[in-house]
Amino acid sequence: MHQEPQHALRRVVVTGIGTVNALGAGGAAALAAALADGRSAIAPVRSFDAGDSPSKLAAEVDEARLAGLVDGDAARRLSRICRLAVAASGQALADARLDPGDGARLGLAIGTEHGDFRSSEAFAAGYLRRGVGGLSPMIFPNTVMNSMGAVAAIALRARGPTITVNQATIAGDLAVAHGAAMVAGGRADAVVAGGVDELCAPVYRRLAEMRVLSPMGTASPEGCRPFAPDHNGPVIGEGATFVVLEEREAALARGAAVHAEILGARWSSIPVAPHTAPARRRDRGSAVSRVLGEAGLDAAALALCYGAGNGDPAVDDWELALLGADLGAAGAAAPRSLAPLFGQHGGLGALRVGAAALALSRAQCGAALVHGIARGGCRTAILLGRAA
Amino acid sequence: MTRVVVTGLGVVSPYGAGAKTFWTGLSSGTCAIRPVSLIDTEGFRSRIAAEVPAEAMATLGVSTRRARADRLALAAAQEALADAALTSRERGRAALVVGAVGGGMLEGEEWYWEETRTGRPSPRIKSLRSILPFTHAETLGWKLRLGGPRETVVMACASGAAAIALGAEMIRDGVTPIAVVGGVDALTRICFMGFNALKLLDPEPCRPFDRQRRGMSIGEAAAFLVLEDVAHGQARGARVHGEVLGAGTTTDAHHVTSPHPEGDGMVRAMELALAEAGVTPRDVQYVNAHGTGTVQNDRIEALALRRVFGEGGVLVSSSKSLVGHTMAAAGSLEAAATLFAIQNGLVPPTANLHETDPEVPFDCVPRLARPAPVECALSNSFGFGGQNVTLVLRRFAG
Repeated sequence: MHQEPQHALRRVVVTGIGTVNALGAGGAAALAAALADGRSAIAPVRSFDAGDSPSKLAAEVDEARLAGLVDGDAARRLSRICRLAVAASGQALADARLDPGDGARLGLAIGTEHGDFRSSEAFAAGYLRRGVGGLSPMIFPNTVMNSMGAVAAIALRARGPTITVNQATIAGDLAVAHGAAMVAGGRADAVVAGGVDELCAPVYRRLAEMRVLSPMGTASPEGCRPFAPDHNGPVIGEGATFVVLEEREAALARGAAVHAEILGARWSSIPVAPHTAPARRRDRGSAVSRVLGEAGLDAAALALCYGAGNGDPAVDDWELALLGADLGAAGAAAPRSLAPLFGQHGGLGALRVGAAALALSRAQCGAALVHGIARGGCRTAILLGRAA
Repeated sequence: MTRVVVTGLGVVSPYGAGAKTFWTGLSSGTCAIRPVSLIDTEGFRSRIAAEVPAEAMATLGVSTRRARADRLALAAAQEALADAALTSRERGRAALVVGAVGGGMLEGEEWYWEETRTGRPSPRIKSLRSILPFTHAETLGWKLRLGGPRETVVMACASGAAAIALGAEMIRDGVTPIAVVGGVDALTRICFMGFNALKLLDPEPCRPFDRQRRGMSIGEAAAFLVLEDVAHGQARGARVHGEVLGAGTTTDAHHVTSPHPEGDGMVRAMELALAEAGVTPRDVQYVNAHGTGTVQNDRIEALALRRVFGEGGVLVSSSKSLVGHTMAAAGSLEAAATLFAIQNGLVPPTANLHETDPEVPFDCVPRLARPAPVECALSNSFGFGGQNVTLVLRRFAG
């Protein structure tokens, strides 16, 4: 099916986790605490008046919590989503206790679904209110979707390759998979990889109007219920989460605490119409089959599977069908979703990877799969194993 | 290491549809920067840009109900696939990497303008379904039946070059033998207004490397390449346009909008690309520069080129003087220009260049294309956020 790489791929481990999410902020310990608590952050929207919007729930990052995570200068200069990215990526690097040196071998991979729409809206509104004189040269750079990566790279001194990927539902998964590929391929020795999104009132209202958020025009109550019979759409969250991926030998040599090993990370696609998720459509080039095959594992080795299911009935059903086809009865355990805790946002993929890494670091055996599928057919598979 | 070759090219540019049309315009030194027709420019410092002509848009063969950027991307990618003569089975395995920034923002802005000004809901809200950059890749993947890994990379003005670098990496890493890669951006109000607000636009067509340069000109385009493992391409008898010998990707980590004052990230990108390619600066005859026409970019890029090549060590020209800065498309469009320069032994000129800045100690090929044997060339792309991508392209020698 596939070629062999023409150069030896390096082993990749997870050595740090950093997160600023609706349940808390910090390193691996903060994520572990949020997962252990199991409480959902989803609640009625606080940051703006949802008014007569058909959706009224979200998982929001507390403003006071965010304010304490960046210094005053950054708080003044940076847009809110940039502050989220800087804070969480910094937490990840601190969690890994990694000194990037001159940063030339440190990479950054960021996934986002929506980018900095607040700035885009503010920039355009300035023009509509005051004409040419209302255009702010300070805001404009934020409207480019890689602005979060740009400021995070400056804060981390990441001078290696940095990349921003844009994708619905699985933006963070894709960024982590990219980060693993960068390290495995020798293009960076360490990569801070994850995702970020923030709640933006105009975006929220339009998505609700378009009936793509719970309750999606149904009569059942609004809420995030992935894979449940009464699932009726995602609930938006916000935040940023990153993991630090390092070349294994270098990590061990510096005495890093290794949470887990990335045994494989691939992405694939199923060519279907944009925004659709046809549950009967199968994947001929499955990323899941590929990572398992490349790692020499079969589905029975999987102790855990985190899925992208976020309550969108089409995505949930498709994910179950695809995983069923790839894993069969041996891997038939229902995928877990973190969307009910943190809400759907670009940081969720890295939260899943972080959660899987933490679970493996406490387990005695097994491997974990972090699976992603989005409407439109983009698919990811990240296979993690215990740190040997 | 696996060799990566280019077996398909497709372009929609301000000269019109088609890769050959692009090269004809570029090599003739025709500047395509004209008064803007797509958006209202009243009161702006600059009122010109390089738009894809309306008559060319009408002949793309893509539904006019699609977002303008999707139409550009579909037409260019279709041409690249036809040029590569891939079978449906091969398409089914091909990766897709799209560099994009503006997405379907042009149509999204029309919705926002209308609702804001009237205070009433607008049916244009449907345009929001295509507003995000990743929707280009969804559309291309679906319409062209590309079934390999798919992704959308947003690296500002280096996006198109980054797409090529990422596609080449996937082939070298053994992920896929074929990748359809490129960039696209249509003109948008936010982009035009933003660069005006930053006072980075020249009221006249841009003059990269000229002592009197006053800024850049915006353009729009789509350019896609089919990259292929050379063994795969040769086995199916593919025609080869050139070889992607290496790529270097770095970050300044210095400032969001200003490049590092010593060109640190640019130099490292060029050096990494040359190292991956296994060539030295003396093996390179031509650099298709990022060359925006802003005072700062051109001065620092020239400094970086001097650090890598020494003064006058290589021919340098800027395609942006002819077709404007096509944003996310620029990197792949200029890679196509570089491949044509190699194939034709003709270096495209820097238009509007009358007096080269003394701080630019290079022959910047003013106004007229220059016949020159080019075996190996660089294409530089640098973007907001200190993102630097350099590609090394070479004549394919079998």
